[in-house]
Amino acid sequence: MLRQLLITADPIDEASLLATRKMSQDMGAVVCFLGVVRQIEGDALVEALEYESFRAMAEHQFNLLFDQVEKRWPVESVRLVHRLGRVRVNEPSLWVEVVAAHRGEAFQACQWLIDQMKQVVPIWKRPLKAGGR
Amino acid sequence: MQVKVSFYSFFKELAGCASLQETIAEGSTLDGLLDQVVERFPKLAGMRKSALIAVGLEYQPPGYVLKEGDEVSLFPPVQGG
Repeated sequence: MLRQLLITADPIDEASLLATRKMSQDMGAVVCFLGVVRQIEGDALVEALEYESFRAMAEHQFNLLFDQVEKRWPVESVRLVHRLGRVRVNEPSLWVEVVAAHRGEAFQACQWLIDQMKQVVPIWKRPLKAGGR
Repeated sequence: MQVKVSFYSFFKELAGCASLQETIAEGSTLDGLLDQVVERFPKLAGMRKSALIAVGLEYQPPGYVLKEGDEVSLFPPVQGG
């Protein structure tokens, strides 16, 4: 299974990611997920979220999750980008793509990966209210 | 023996530092280390039940027996995405 992981302070460039997609001729499903910063975080009105990670462990834990995806579903590729630093409302903080032969495994693997990420990958976010505080 | 303890997210603010070297007895467990850390930084006491603990890059249970030079990380529940 092809895997690509990027944890970056740079904005997520969807067009570039889509342009570099590779899939073999017997693949029939691509599931893409985009996580976007909401204006309401909990009860607070925010201007942005500030993301922080324990990068080495985050990369390691993502790779363990990719190992599990590979064992559980016949997936050809997983690509994942997670933002760090300040991400403003309406900007994406997470991009995930799963390529498989059929939609069932592509949807399941994508959802499972994101659910697990939210349990084990050491990334945190801090709301920034208007004025950047 | 000594281990390094690092804090992440708002645990850094609660502890008032990003990391420290902690001296512990041979055979100490993560749970015992946490007792020491909470005694040193009482503001962390309220987070003790929800804290996640890793040694190196792996999560470890409270009964994990520490070794000289282990790098322990303490942090709140993760929030990626």
